Amino acid sequence: MLVVGLVAVGGVVQLSLTRVNVLAGTREFVGLENYARIATDPDMGVILSNTFFFVIVLSIAGTAAALALAILLNQRLPGINIFRAAIFIPALVTTVAWTLVWRFILQPEGLLDGIIGLVGAEPLPWLRGGWLSLSVFALIQLTKNVGINMMIFLAALQAVPQELLDAAVVDGAGRWSRFRHVVLPQISPAILMVFMLMVSGSFKVFELVLLLTNGGPGVQTSVLAFEIYRQAFRLNDIGYAAALAVFLFALVLALTGIIWQLRRKLVFHENE
Amino acid sequence: MRTSNRRRRAVAVRRIPSYVLLTAISLVFIGPILWMVSGSFKSINEILKYPPLLLPEVFRWENYAQVFTLQPFARQFFNSVLVMVLICLVTLIIAIPAGYALARVRPAGAAAIFVVLLCGIFIPPEAVIVPLFQTAAQLGWVDTFWPLVIFTSMLSTGPVAMFIMRQAFLTLPPEFEEAATLDGASRWRTMVQIFIPLVRPSIASAIVFTAWFSWNQFLEPLVYLRSQEMLTVPVALTLFEDALAGPRWNVQMAATTISVLPVLIVFLIAQRHVVSGLTAGGLKS
Repeated sequence: MLVVGLVAVGGVVQLSLTRVNVLAGTREFVGLENYARIATDPDMGVILSNTFFFVIVLSIAGTAAALALAILLNQRLPGINIFRAAIFIPALVTTVAWTLVWRFILQPEGLLDGIIGLVGAEPLPWLRGGWLSLSVFALIQLTKNVGINMMIFLAALQAVPQELLDAAVVDGAGRWSRFRHVVLPQISPAILMVFMLMVSGSFKVFELVLLLTNGGPGVQTSVLAFEIYRQAFRLNDIGYAAALAVFLFALVLALTGIIWQLRRKLVFHENE
Repeated sequence: MRTSNRRRRAVAVRRIPSYVLLTAISLVFIGPILWMVSGSFKSINEILKYPPLLLPEVFRWENYAQVFTLQPFARQFFNSVLVMVLICLVTLIIAIPAGYALARVRPAGAAAIFVVLLCGIFIPPEAVIVPLFQTAAQLGWVDTFWPLVIFTSMLSTGPVAMFIMRQAFLTLPPEFEEAATLDGASRWRTMVQIFIPLVRPSIASAIVFTAWFSWNQFLEPLVYLRSQEMLTVPVALTLFEDALAGPRWNVQMAATTISVLPVLIVFLIAQRHVVSGLTAGGLKS
């Protein structure tokens, strides 16, 4: 398994240094030319800012939303399990199915246009690019996966020892300071874990882009993962796609590495 | 008696805002699913009507029949199940002994191997799909299930399952092993007869995660598979389109409903295992 992994990584680095002509079946060594192209390609500015938009929004909003939902659902109410299940269900549906259903909802004069029509608004161009499309993408991706993270947080919240909370009450701590000083440190390992999963996961906004807009108009709604696919399998520019892949790989490793290093400062107690 | 009744009513009233809020939030999550089911029974004219109808006037079951006539959907469904079973098998065959070795045998460099594994968990499949596809092409594996099963279980589900198994084996007391060795059991026998039965819940988690991952896969089948009879469900779902008229929304929603139903049924039967399987990767770090 290690070997396959190393071959895959080695292969992608090697390919990234070549120009492959699929039709002629040739492959020539071009050094770092493909990487230079990443730096100069005007489309990359848009693609990278979209990619980072998703990484930042999904990791921060995704973690915060999951935590908020977990706190909301961590109460003793009859029937609370039904609500927990309801929020978890999108996580079970395949991403493709979830995306297709949303495409159906977002189609011109579809359900969402109908809903905003109820308050007298005109139909909106949900999928024609710009911030509106990116925000819609973020919402679709977030609602898809927030259930899993919510469950992680719920388990962490329920593992907070009751004695600690009781002790804080005796010390006269209010609701907020109990949360801030008792609960939050206790669940900080879970928060870090979810945050890391969200950071690496939000590079994978692929199905949405492919199925909803194909990255268009132009590359307005494209992201790095989709651009790799487009260059490799639609434009047959394997060398350039491999360079992009190495770039993506390095980005993910660097980001998760940085967060992992920060954990000692941020996480209350980590038992390894 | 009267006061307790009144108190109970007061509690119930105080709960109303909670329920309203929870219902509103839940609608965001299951609303799309309900809309999918409703759309799957509509005629194409009802679907294009604006403002949209909440429910179809007549439930058109023929949309579901069309799912199977427009594409070999039964075959594609079977493909998805077959790939899922194979990926689960290969993943377990790799992950149980490897997780055991990492936790109990501790070979030289176990820590380094573990870090590489962790990297494997965080690397997006998009980053390695290009060389993997080229390898598959060289091996003549395009349009077969081989690359799906082998590459996925080695690079995507394998590392996570191994991680789950390692954590599970770590929690067991080493005395068991010593006792088994004293009784003359080999290392392999110790693992199979003593440890594996004790980590059954973690094996269930690993299976749930792997099955879910495989059922979800889109990029890999999209790249490796070509002919319609070989496609898996997620790719097939995207192909219910008419070249001229665009998507056949109603048939597509019917097919999507069919693809979602089995997962929901499994979830309802084995809720606890499903939740722990999908959260296992995160919980146990």
